[in-house]
Amino acid sequence: MSLKNKLQRMKPYISLKSATASTASEKNENNIDHLSTWKANQVSPFWLDNDYCLIREVHFPLSYKHGKYALEDCKKVIEAWQYSAVAHPLSTKRHKAEDLFFFDTETTGLRGVGSTIFLLGYAQFTSEGVTLKQHILPKPGSEIPLYVSFLENVDYTTLVTYNGKSFDWPQLQTRHTLIKEHVPKLPAVGHFDLYHASRRMWKHTLDSVKLSEVEKHILQFERIDDLPGYLAPAIFFDFVERNDPEGMLKVLDHNEKDILSLISLYTHLSHQLLGSDKKQTSEEKVFAGKWLHAAGDSQSAAIHLENALKMNKQNYAAAHELAYTEKRKGNTSRAINLWHEVAAHGTAREKRESMIELAKIYEHTVKDIVKAIELTKAACEAAYQDGSIKKIPLDAFIQAAEHRLHRLERKYCVLFPKE
Amino acid sequence: MKKKSLADLVKFFQTDREIQQQIVKWHTIEPKEAMYAPIPASVHPKLVEALNHKGIGQLYTHQEEAYRMIKNGHSITAITPTASGKTLCYNLPVVQSILEKPSVRALYLFPTKALAQDQKTELNEWLDLADASITSYTYDGDTPASIRQKVRRAGQIVITNPDMLHSAILPHHTKWVSLFENLQFVVLDELHIYRGVFGSHVANVIRRLKRICAFYGSDPQFICTSATIANPKELAESLTEKKITLISQNGAPSAKKHFVFYNPPIVNHQLNIRKSATLEVRKLAGLLLKEKIQTIIFAKSRVRVEIILSYLQDLVKNELGPKSIRGYRGGYLPTQRREIEKGLRDGEVYGVVSTNALELGVDIGQLQACIMTGYPGTIASAWQQAGRAGRRQGEALILMVASSSPLDQYIVKHPEYFLETSPETARINPNNLVILLDHLKCAAFELPFSKGDTFGEHDLEELLDFLVEERVLHRSKDKWHWMSDAFPAHDISLRSASQENVVIIDQSDRAHVKVIGEMDRFSAMTLLHDEAIYLHQGTQYQVEYLDWDEKKAFVGEVDIDYFTDANLAVQLTVLEEDCLKKTALASVSYGDVSVRAMATIFKKIKFDTHENIGSGPIHLPEEELHTSATWFSLHKELKELTEDRIEQGLIGMAHSLKAIIPLHVMSDPQDIHLVPQVKATHNQRPTLFVYDRYPGGIGLSEKVFDLGYTVISEAKEMVTSCQCQNGCPSCIGTDTGSRTAKQDTTDLMTLFIESLAGDDK
Repeated sequence: MSLKNKLQRMKPYISLKSATASTASEKNENNIDHLSTWKANQVSPFWLDNDYCLIREVHFPLSYKHGKYALEDCKKVIEAWQYSAVAHPLSTKRHKAEDLFFFDTETTGLRGVGSTIFLLGYAQFTSEGVTLKQHILPKPGSEIPLYVSFLENVDYTTLVTYNGKSFDWPQLQTRHTLIKEHVPKLPAVGHFDLYHASRRMWKHTLDSVKLSEVEKHILQFERIDDLPGYLAPAIFFDFVERNDPEGMLKVLDHNEKDILSLISLYTHLSHQLLGSDKKQTSEEKVFAGKWLHAAGDSQSAAIHLENALKMNKQNYAAAHELAYTEKRKGNTSRAINLWHEVAAHGTAREKRESMIELAKIYEHTVKDIVKAIELTKAACEAAYQDGSIKKIPLDAFIQAAEHRLHRLERKYCVLFPKE
Repeated sequence: MKKKSLADLVKFFQTDREIQQQIVKWHTIEPKEAMYAPIPASVHPKLVEALNHKGIGQLYTHQEEAYRMIKNGHSITAITPTASGKTLCYNLPVVQSILEKPSVRALYLFPTKALAQDQKTELNEWLDLADASITSYTYDGDTPASIRQKVRRAGQIVITNPDMLHSAILPHHTKWVSLFENLQFVVLDELHIYRGVFGSHVANVIRRLKRICAFYGSDPQFICTSATIANPKELAESLTEKKITLISQNGAPSAKKHFVFYNPPIVNHQLNIRKSATLEVRKLAGLLLKEKIQTIIFAKSRVRVEIILSYLQDLVKNELGPKSIRGYRGGYLPTQRREIEKGLRDGEVYGVVSTNALELGVDIGQLQACIMTGYPGTIASAWQQAGRAGRRQGEALILMVASSSPLDQYIVKHPEYFLETSPETARINPNNLVILLDHLKCAAFELPFSKGDTFGEHDLEELLDFLVEERVLHRSKDKWHWMSDAFPAHDISLRSASQENVVIIDQSDRAHVKVIGEMDRFSAMTLLHDEAIYLHQGTQYQVEYLDWDEKKAFVGEVDIDYFTDANLAVQLTVLEEDCLKKTALASVSYGDVSVRAMATIFKKIKFDTHENIGSGPIHLPEEELHTSATWFSLHKELKELTEDRIEQGLIGMAHSLKAIIPLHVMSDPQDIHLVPQVKATHNQRPTLFVYDRYPGGIGLSEKVFDLGYTVISEAKEMVTSCQCQNGCPSCIGTDTGSRTAKQDTTDLMTLFIESLAGDDK
């Protein structure tokens, strides 16, 4: 039996998953199809040894608005970082706006060596505005011109991405490895990943922290006629087979919006951390404060929390966090006051945590062991109740609290042996 | 009363009248002295010291030979029976090479995760002793994400399994640059496991591995170890596509072994029906376990394991705790397995009832006795199972209890066949189109193909262009690139023919339903249909509902005194004939067929008496299979025989051939199927089909085409030498009903033998 017949017979057993489109046509080597359409859309070819990739270049003025921020707002906020005392991983202190490289890719799959990057897009500030460039892979074999053009003509040290730390950049490294003999080396880069920042700020308030959700609810940017990102691979496959740029132009548009959103998002996040967003809510101040606290800048954290509390006296989350910073500063009486407030009105978790914190202070600083025992018992009680209603195991908390209680009771017996 | 020792029990077995009558052959294998060679001078003093510390002052000859060959740059296969110190065959040269040059990397492949874990522990102990700062890690589904990066960058010895290599390492090879750039050794342990479908897959995974190595500029040596099979060198060469040096002389010593062939008593002389092997095993195992002799009992199917387990737990529940006898088979969860292995090593578990899962090198220490419930199906696997018994000092007792199956009866009546014949050939077919194409996709995902590349035997360009037509690849000039958003390795399982497993869900406690195991689709048709009784760790479950589309079987615990057994109806048509040998009398052909199988009914069979106490229908869709087959057709007009008698003869012939074929082709019994047709659809002649149970075939029926004369001659000899008059389960089976069936079967076989005489090489 011929191989062809055998292949047809075995077809049902071979799992074949792929895009559907019309018949393939071999690309003409020196003649790019639809070149006029490309040119009309600011796209021109980059030639290298009889092979090429396509590059789109567009410029935006500083006054260009994307969502609630103009591009120049980003420049201003980077300026503000220079003079701010706030210390944070997102700080661009000692960076110029021109150093930042807002970067996003489109790929054919989500993982593995075979997932090809077919679009490398990035934006950079210039003195007049923002230049956005997109390097397009015209067909699977043309990665050498793609990466040569990308690596030779750009200067970047600091990436700004959305989940680029675990996705775009490693995937770029992967594809680069395959052709590293033929292209310049990949430089070491710094990285601001705004996905992780957004998770910290909004995971409790947004249904999901997908970029499109953040755009809609935070940046007030609504996409119109936008291509859903998951269709991008199918459009690329179709483009490879038919050469018609129409679909790809939509992918370029989608990618452009993603990149511009990175600029607005960086602006917004900076304002949150610098405390310079006039519309910042009390809750947002708490998240920013907590984040600064975790990043080691307790001083800035305290300012945010004070402001949050000033805005809303009933913000017990703020009071709870603030109590920690007050305690650290040695301001025990303020910490006690705050925690008593929280123990009376906070959420179940805040209540029991503040009771334990109070117990610590009463034991070690105030030296009121009876009060400490009382508070620890109350914390245990609250945890038992909470645990049984919500069916969530609070084992670790309860264990620690019970341990504390026993220790306190022993200590009490030692101090007051007669009773 | 004082417990009897194994020696006492051996004496008892030799003298007890009742037992003695059933023993067909008592074969004593004398202890074998070790053959030693000095530790080579080039071995690093640290390693010599570590060996000395473990009481190893010299090497076994095969270990020394392996070391020498590997250091000279050869790829090798060493024949290593159970407990012959095989790990040193690879650990010594690998560790030595890394000490000489720390950038050297090695990849160890074990067929299962459990074996990999075992090896890591052993290797690390040894490395600690040698004070060698060499890093070795296991890399599998259980490796914590936090250390994965470290393994990829810095692991000098990476221990994993073929599945992980296939789905997690090769498709992400750019994360393993330092491994692939410096890969000098690939260790393939338990080589004989890589046969059939699994072996054909693994051969392709190795093709992909070699391709990636070539990309990064390395060309590793292969170090294989194998149980005793007929063609270790050939198997290793077709798996690795490298020239292999065979090391067949084993220098390890072995204890005195009593190999006893036991045939259960005949309970019905007319029908030549013997007492059930399962019941006899219960009796014999009980004798051993009551004396706390550590015993392993092998059974051929999962169901048998569970039945014997429940018998034995019941039998000794007063003497030993229920936890001291355990079951062990595929479908148990890993934690359960680890617990049982540990119990066996510590001696807390006295008895274990297992499928061939424990045939592999899982470390359970050496036990005192081994009982096989029936012949395990291959000579190689029987020796592996026997190897489980035999501590260094003292002796070991191995009992093979024959069932009434024809193969068992053939073996028990010809013990010399088993003891003297070379074991079976392990077959793989890495060029099976279905398997090859699956891996071709993975390979294209990993690296684009260029004109002039090779991958397997077929015309690569034609295959690649096929994938272009199917829109999986894109061809530009002389290169083929991956062009799909899929992750191909994800859809391809190396283990199971049907890819999708059925998950078994226990919903006895509706509030806490839990997954207790899984099973491949084809087995599920006959074992997990509605109302089937499924046994798991000795507990009976009844299948309440099989959701065939979602691949879920919902079961509930029950307590009843029967098990179920299902029938499979098969239809078969010839698609294309590739080879033909023909005389006026008969013909043999090889080609492609289409098989349609459907589970029809199931029977309920009572535990102790094994009587049929009821039945029910099975409603499952038909499964279709395109595969390769060999068929024997009769062309002589047999005027004296009615169509009915010819059919009886063909059924008898099918039954006896099913027993004989596995003696020549190493396969699991269910890998090969036989179907008789009194008027085959394609040629209207009486025909017997032998087909592979995997799409596209894996070389089993092809081998039967080559060996037609031999297998039919042996089958005839088996039938004629059977003591029964008109046919019995031991020769032509019970599906034949007539008095003439036995004679008709041999007559038909004579015709084929005459026609094929002088054909086999």
